[in-house]
Amino acid sequence: MFSEMPRRVAWSAAWRISLWGTLAFSIGTLLVFVFLHRFVADDMQHRNDAWLWGAVSLLGDFAERTPKDALYGQVVGEIAELVREEVPNKKRSLSNADDHVFFLQEGEDRSLKLWVGAGAGEDTLKAIHGSRILPDQPIDLRVDGMGVPFRVVSIRVEDGSRIYLGLSEEDQLRILNNFRFYFVLLWLIIVLFGFALVFSISRSLLKHVQTITDAASRIGRSDLTTRVPTTSRTDEVAHLALTLNNMLDRIENSMHQLHTITDSLAHDIRSPITAVRGRLEASLSARSPEEQTDSIASSIEVLDRLSQFLTDSLDVAEANADALRLARSEVDLEEALASMIDLYQPSMAEKDITLDFHHAGPVTISADVGLIHRMISNLFDNEVTHLPTGCRVMVDLRPEDSARLILQDDGPGFAPEIIQHLFERNTKGRDSSGHGLGLAFVDAVVRAHGGTVIASNPPSGGARIAINLPLSSGVSGYSRGPEVVDQVELSKD
Amino acid sequence: MRLLLVEDELDIQRFLKHALLEAGYQIDAAGDARTAMKFAADTAYDILIVDLGLPDQDGIDLILSLRQVGVKAPVLILSARRSVDERVKGLEQGGDDYLTKPFALAELLARLRNLLKRDSRPEHSNTRLRVLDLELDLIQREVTRSGKPLRLTSQEFALLEFLCRNAGRVVTRSMILERVWGMRIEPKTNVVDVHMSRLRAKVDGGGRKPLIGTMRGMGYVLRNA
Repeated sequence: MFSEMPRRVAWSAAWRISLWGTLAFSIGTLLVFVFLHRFVADDMQHRNDAWLWGAVSLLGDFAERTPKDALYGQVVGEIAELVREEVPNKKRSLSNADDHVFFLQEGEDRSLKLWVGAGAGEDTLKAIHGSRILPDQPIDLRVDGMGVPFRVVSIRVEDGSRIYLGLSEEDQLRILNNFRFYFVLLWLIIVLFGFALVFSISRSLLKHVQTITDAASRIGRSDLTTRVPTTSRTDEVAHLALTLNNMLDRIENSMHQLHTITDSLAHDIRSPITAVRGRLEASLSARSPEEQTDSIASSIEVLDRLSQFLTDSLDVAEANADALRLARSEVDLEEALASMIDLYQPSMAEKDITLDFHHAGPVTISADVGLIHRMISNLFDNEVTHLPTGCRVMVDLRPEDSARLILQDDGPGFAPEIIQHLFERNTKGRDSSGHGLGLAFVDAVVRAHGGTVIASNPPSGGARIAINLPLSSGVSGYSRGPEVVDQVELSKD
Repeated sequence: MRLLLVEDELDIQRFLKHALLEAGYQIDAAGDARTAMKFAADTAYDILIVDLGLPDQDGIDLILSLRQVGVKAPVLILSARRSVDERVKGLEQGGDDYLTKPFALAELLARLRNLLKRDSRPEHSNTRLRVLDLELDLIQREVTRSGKPLRLTSQEFALLEFLCRNAGRVVTRSMILERVWGMRIEPKTNVVDVHMSRLRAKVDGGGRKPLIGTMRGMGYVLRNA
């Protein structure tokens, strides 16, 4: 357990994110510091050099103008002292001004002529002689016995002597050292603090991901009612949780539908099987041949209805899964409707139902003719089954942007409790004895052909089903002839 | 008539064999495509019944290989698939026919007869049909029973013509829908029965001896004796 924890932390995404993030940050800040350091050091050097040049030319001036008498050394020395008071970057409290600046005049014979500064000056002259001095170019001079180098400039005076002015680099180095020290200190604090911050934030984020993962893995095993935890935040992880929960809602819904379907399938299949079994048993113990034939015949009828139900059921299921195979050909809807009306006309007449067919010429769609026939037959079956005696059905077919088929009656309309779910399977009116598959099948066929179907109870009363099917692309135009209204003569004869 | 039945379900094979023997066919039955190919190589069949779901090969592939080795007999395809796919449609256009399971035996026999007829003499040369005292003039579209004219609508005439052509045999409702209305549908209401009762009222009405009989659970039959 204890040995595993650090390992797990070391392999965790939070650890890697914070490690790489901190590394990138620290390298970046280091580079910035290096440039900054260089800039500051150069700037200080320039300012020192400028001061040195100014001071040395002033001293040179004085040295030239002061008469070369006994007081020369004293006068120039005092002026040099004055100059030393004006040293830049100086921390008086920490250091002695004497150590900081020296003034050295070298005679024509390269001997020490005048020295203002700490110590004897001979060592300094020796050091000057030992290094290559370029005219008009400051140099860094190291003097034996002095830890810190001097910045030295020189100028030639008219009498042939040479004046050297040196400024200790101690202050400059001290400032830069401080600069580096504070930077490294701050840098370390920031890097460590940043690492801790990034680590804790990414860890808490990823912990949320981990809880989502845990919840998701539980869902598969037990039930679908569990949901992954959500937060009030609106970041990507919260979005992930919401998306997962939405997906789970949909899966649960589908599973629920599947259960409902299998339950109702079991019911829809078991009931007829029970009926057939019972009737066949009855035929075995039948007393007369008529009774026997009757049992067998009604068994066959039940089986036919079962087989028909299975066909529709599977077609609806296939269509809902967008897997309905269509054997498309050019189908004239007008012709299909006309022959279907021929077929249903006597049945409707039996119930004294009048049918008006409004049509205005062929309407060609590219469709599976078998499915279209079955769809229309389903619609007409519905009218025959559900309409009370003496009603009127209006069938209207017109080609607009699409083939538009409207079926409207003046019956009682769809029951209000089912109108929202008309095209779902197992939806049927309270008094319906069917499987509740008819309109689901209609919807499935229409959608498989890329069309739409809308069912409504219009304010004028009755039920209305409007179907739109895409026209066949091969049909260019449609000549709008005079509309024909077939008042189908229906009489009980 | 020699018939090759290719069907792997033994139950179905057995009852089909029995029914087809009774209908006067000589049957060879194969349970898979390999056996079927062997049978077809040895014997010339007049007609074949092929189930699509065979254990070793798809039924359509079997039909195509049979065609390749020169078998020209018409094929009745049996399919448990509800939607008939393009390939079956293609075969259907080539002169074969299909039937989806479950089917009525009467329909299977009718389709076999149809295929054989299509094969031998595709034209109905008769212009008149006669069943007992019922007579149809196919050109004038007129019907008489015992010499008295009957007034039928064109639908009723087509229905009666179909019954006459199959006189003495059971026709199912789906056969009627397909042949008379040209639709393969399974209505949930008794549309065919209503048509039939209207026709019956005209043909058998007025105290005449009933010609159109109902076979419960199967369909209708026009008596010819």
